[in-house]
Amino acid sequence: MPLPTGYTVAIAQTALALLLAPGLVGLIRWLKARLQNRRGAPVWQPYLELRKLFAKEVVVSSNASWLFRVAPFVVFASTVAVAFLIPVLAVPSPFDPVGDLLVVVYLLLLGTFFLALAGLDPGSAFGGMGSSREMTVAALSEPTVALAIFALALGAGSTNLGQIVARTMADPAAAVSPGYLLAFGALFVVTLAENGRLPVDNPATHLELTMIHEAMILEYSGRYLALIEWAAWLKVLLFFSLLGNLFVPWGVATVLTPSALGWALATLLAKLVVLAVVLAVFETRVAKLRLFRVPELLAVSFVLAVLAITVSFLVR
Amino acid sequence: MDSAFGQLTVLGSSLVLLCGLTLLWRRGSAAHIGAFAAQSVALAATAGLIAVVTGSRELWVVAVILLGLKGILMPILLKRMDRRFGGPRELEPYVNTATSLVIGGLLVVLAYIVTWPILDVSRLPTRAGMPLAMGLIFVSLFVIISRKKALTQVIGFLALENGIALLAMLGTYGIPFIVEVGVFLDALMGFLVMQIVIYRIQETFESIDVEQLNRLSQ
Repeated sequence: MPLPTGYTVAIAQTALALLLAPGLVGLIRWLKARLQNRRGAPVWQPYLELRKLFAKEVVVSSNASWLFRVAPFVVFASTVAVAFLIPVLAVPSPFDPVGDLLVVVYLLLLGTFFLALAGLDPGSAFGGMGSSREMTVAALSEPTVALAIFALALGAGSTNLGQIVARTMADPAAAVSPGYLLAFGALFVVTLAENGRLPVDNPATHLELTMIHEAMILEYSGRYLALIEWAAWLKVLLFFSLLGNLFVPWGVATVLTPSALGWALATLLAKLVVLAVVLAVFETRVAKLRLFRVPELLAVSFVLAVLAITVSFLVR
Repeated sequence: MDSAFGQLTVLGSSLVLLCGLTLLWRRGSAAHIGAFAAQSVALAATAGLIAVVTGSRELWVVAVILLGLKGILMPILLKRMDRRFGGPRELEPYVNTATSLVIGGLLVVLAYIVTWPILDVSRLPTRAGMPLAMGLIFVSLFVIISRKKALTQVIGFLALENGIALLAMLGTYGIPFIVEVGVFLDALMGFLVMQIVIYRIQETFESIDVEQLNRLSQ
């Protein structure tokens, strides 16, 4: 049997990420519900939501411009592009030469930017408020993503995500070094902020005074909303894979044999479930921060990232 | 072996430093006291680790004293003080939280620059943690000058003392036992004196906001 080529695997892993993302979010919601003594919707509920949204008609405000219609596709496409570039199942990916860490950060920011524009476009009060808040959070969290991964890149000598993973596998002691732990802390906080989770934003409510992500997409309906939601869920999965595969790289396939890929899939699922449990417990324990205290939390994670870089750069 | 030992001491020092940075981040007295207790436990663990590797009996005693005195006794005393002097909230600090965190990060970088020559000379496997200890000293000094509540300043002083103890352990595998004990007692005495001073401040001004000291009373 011929081995699958790198391109097949890269495309398959993106498709897999797209398929798994709603399930992951459904799992987090279900876990949270159980932790809060509710029965909770079944894990596959997000799939049903997607199907429903794709079938519904689209209502667009008469004030909205072409930007409003383009934005969902840009958001979805940029997130899918990121899925090609980060190590989900196998390294090295044939798409590694196309983009490294910096491209990933900017692609994510591109999606956020267009979402914010789309929030402003129909001229509704909530949309503008959400966009302004999202930009405040993004301006503080995007540099931290880059810095936290830079701390790992310094050790690997490359900003290429695949090479960072390969390097950590070759040198397991690095995974418990302070630089890695500090960077993990920083990236975890940023994962919360970027994906609109507690304590930065509450994904479960439509309370107008506190919402960020939900405020921006309030005007969307039908398949546009489906695309944006799907992209947001995919983003959660991508950040989880980054957390899981960059810091605990064991299991990621380095050869493209069926057994290695199967093992990679199994470990990926295990890592996602563990992170989902951690997130659900964490979200159940913390309360939402007041908006004006969010910059303080992000400052903490920024300082953690700076320390991670200092520790891994100055002491070698 | 040596490299793993070095990694672990750096890990311990990072934890100690992180607890110091928590003082800048959190506002409530309870959080500050918790951070100080955690810091002392991490410090004691680091001391214990060095004691295991070097086989020094004195360092064992130091670790136990650290754990008992600073990990358990002082947090209890601090909590009692906090209960007595009221207000659960930190007063608005001189420097806001986000800025002080960034300044804290910069102070750690500064500590790296300052200790650079020492790192070049030292051959100990623990040397990589020394900049972190130095960073903690700077951060604690910053806590002392940037916070208004006397209780927070006392905790800052105790954290400073932790930083000095950590630096001594990492740099020299512990100073002579008699000196170490002297320092402990010094800190304890200082703590008791400060407790009395805080009590007096509270009596006179009915608040432990040290800014009130700038004004003449009556």
